Amino acid sequence: MNRPELPEIDALLHIPQLSVQNANAISGPHSWGHPGPTHFTGLMTALQRKLGADSGLSFVAVGIVSHGYQAQTNGDYVQRFNLTRNPVGKDGSTAAIVEEGRIHLQLSLLFGLQLNTQRRAASDAELDELAQQASRTLQTLRIAGGSVLPGHSRLQPRLIRLDEDADVRSQQFRRLCRYLLPGYALVSRDDLLLQHHTTLREQDATATVLDAWLGQCRINHTPVTDDAGKTEWQHSRSAGRGWIVPLPVGYGALTPLYEAGTVARCRDPHTPVRFVESLYSLGEWLSPHRLRDYRQLLWYPGYHPENGVYRCHNDYQAPSLTEPTPLGVTA
Amino acid sequence: MLDPLSPRAQSLRSEIQQFLQLRLADKLGALAADDPKREALIAQYQPQAWLADAARRVTQLQLVTHPLKASHPDARGSSLFIPPSSLPPRQEVGSHALPTLVSDVVGNAAALDVYKFLKLSHAGQSLLSLLQAGDADLLAALSDDAEQATAWRDAFCSIAEPASDLICHALAKQIYWPVSPDAYPPDAHDDSHFHLLSILNSSALSHWLYEQIQADRFGEATKAARQARRDGAAHPHGYHEYPQLAEEKKGGTKPQNISQLNSERKGSNYLLAALPPQWNSKATRPLYGVASLFVRFGSQPHVRGLLDELRDYLGKLKPEANNMHIRNRRDAWLGELFTELLQFGAGFSNGLPKGWTAHPDCTLPIEEQCWLDPYRAEDDEEFNRAFQWQDWPAQLAERFAHWLNTRLGAERLSKHQLALGEVEFNHWRRELAHDVALLGDWDHKRRAVDHRLLPAARTQEVSHESP
Repeated sequence: MNRPELPEIDALLHIPQLSVQNANAISGPHSWGHPGPTHFTGLMTALQRKLGADSGLSFVAVGIVSHGYQAQTNGDYVQRFNLTRNPVGKDGSTAAIVEEGRIHLQLSLLFGLQLNTQRRAASDAELDELAQQASRTLQTLRIAGGSVLPGHSRLQPRLIRLDEDADVRSQQFRRLCRYLLPGYALVSRDDLLLQHHTTLREQDATATVLDAWLGQCRINHTPVTDDAGKTEWQHSRSAGRGWIVPLPVGYGALTPLYEAGTVARCRDPHTPVRFVESLYSLGEWLSPHRLRDYRQLLWYPGYHPENGVYRCHNDYQAPSLTEPTPLGVTA
Repeated sequence: MLDPLSPRAQSLRSEIQQFLQLRLADKLGALAADDPKREALIAQYQPQAWLADAARRVTQLQLVTHPLKASHPDARGSSLFIPPSSLPPRQEVGSHALPTLVSDVVGNAAALDVYKFLKLSHAGQSLLSLLQAGDADLLAALSDDAEQATAWRDAFCSIAEPASDLICHALAKQIYWPVSPDAYPPDAHDDSHFHLLSILNSSALSHWLYEQIQADRFGEATKAARQARRDGAAHPHGYHEYPQLAEEKKGGTKPQNISQLNSERKGSNYLLAALPPQWNSKATRPLYGVASLFVRFGSQPHVRGLLDELRDYLGKLKPEANNMHIRNRRDAWLGELFTELLQFGAGFSNGLPKGWTAHPDCTLPIEEQCWLDPYRAEDDEEFNRAFQWQDWPAQLAERFAHWLNTRLGAERLSKHQLALGEVEFNHWRRELAHDVALLGDWDHKRRAVDHRLLPAARTQEVSHESP
């Protein structure tokens, strides 16, 4: 399969320090925590539609940076969600509880945009006004099911037109990254899943991608005995390996695409319908100062008709572990 | 006269009878010895009677892999039967990667005993798969009446038939996904550029995960490995931990209303944690009354942990050990520490109101003030001069290197030549300078914009005052 790539973009829209209350914490059928990329690409589409066709902005991709969270759970080894009993039934009796996970979020978003000709020639003041407008509109939307609270950040939303020159672009992005600290950016680690699967297959030919995935989503304690016969227990989350998490990246088709109106009781009778299941991959939370290019941060939705996959992509590529990373040369 | 049953048919028949006997014994056990209902119950569990009833009730069940009710117990729409083998290969993790087909059953929970009957295994094959294959011995075992047996077989096999019409439901998850009919990218404003996706969950995948985690938490092998670790002993294999694992209960007190597998899991659905690292916002109280930011930086649990790990690692090395692998590991730790420092610093410069270092209680050296409160330079002329002209990034980097060497016990480590040297020092200086240059640069540009916007107002002010 050809690796997709982020389409060309002209501008970055930075929405700093959003406070979101009661966002959905169950981001997929097998994971919980921070909402995944699909929540934010959906938000992106909703924002563009609400801004209207004449805004001159076309939203292509979104970057997600977490500044903090407060999970609404309790428990020690196993977390359970704090539940509310609502609403009551018609006769005032309590309804059965259907568990919902909630989380309060503090986050910044970075949208990758394409500008139309008119916006490309716009003055800085116009761009500032556009950024303000987008930010105000965003506050009227739900983010992963949660509501946006009025912020108190000193930082302002900003629309940055990217330069033609690649070096200047990179500079512009790195400057922006400073405003994403303190925080952690979400990037894709499809490569790690693939790589770990290959490693497992070398030991056991029947190992599935599921084994590889689960192996990366937990702490593995292994005994290592040295030549002197001394045993030391090591675990797999030591420094430098990154903060790896399971990530629902999109959906895989279970059925063919049905024509609009042929499946009863859908959200609307004018759109083709398909039954799908969630697909997982691995993601990493890393400090934004490690990013060199906006392509590494941005997520964008894609559709692959050949195997019926609807998923979000991110062009982050981890620095290769086999290559030495000499200090003092990178800056 | 009927043909005598073949030995295999005999054994199948006795297996069925055994199954019924067991269930009957269970039911009878709950009744008093003189309960009049005993008679009726015994009659009900006569094989022919039970099978006839089961063949009727089986229509209330459906064999599925993706039950809709796992999304919401009140959702009424189609559940699907999609074996992993029927899905195209995909790179991601999904039910297509499951090694075997594990079926689930949805429908009237009162009829689930029929499914237990169909799952009875004979020589490694379930009765259902034998029925589906039209096994002659099994048919003979079901009933002496061949016509009756065929009718029952058809009834039982109907469990695997999909419901005729596909129906979605308001409580099922339904989302729009942008799909362009022609060229990329899709137009968000065009309603025809979307597919509506109705999301179902793979019950078998949940079950697979549940079994893995249960074994890793409570299995005998795990217990032995944990004990071995506590004893510091060797063990043929390790064990696994699931930090921040969450458990969701589906179906409340009636997990059987969701599906058969859900009922087997007692409604439990494990969720793996995908939380980001948590930034400790308490660390960004204004730094008053301390001589250096490194005092607080070094006292953070996470930083202390990193330092301890690194010190232990370096301490264990033999003095002559110094190869690429070791350096890489050390650099990974140093990189983490530096990341922490940048995060820590940005917490102050982005989080606190500008000018907080101007407070009389702030006793930080000027280079730290410059870094932690750069926007103060906008209003404070004197501070701005220090900010613009001093060689403070280098001084800050030196402080960092010095602090790190002290904390790692530099004298002890110098024999390793692994403590921080000139190269690292230059690296930190450059990184910090870079961080700061970006900051100054950006700031500069923003102020330029402000000035461009402001002059009109200023000239007016001036013109009011001058006459």
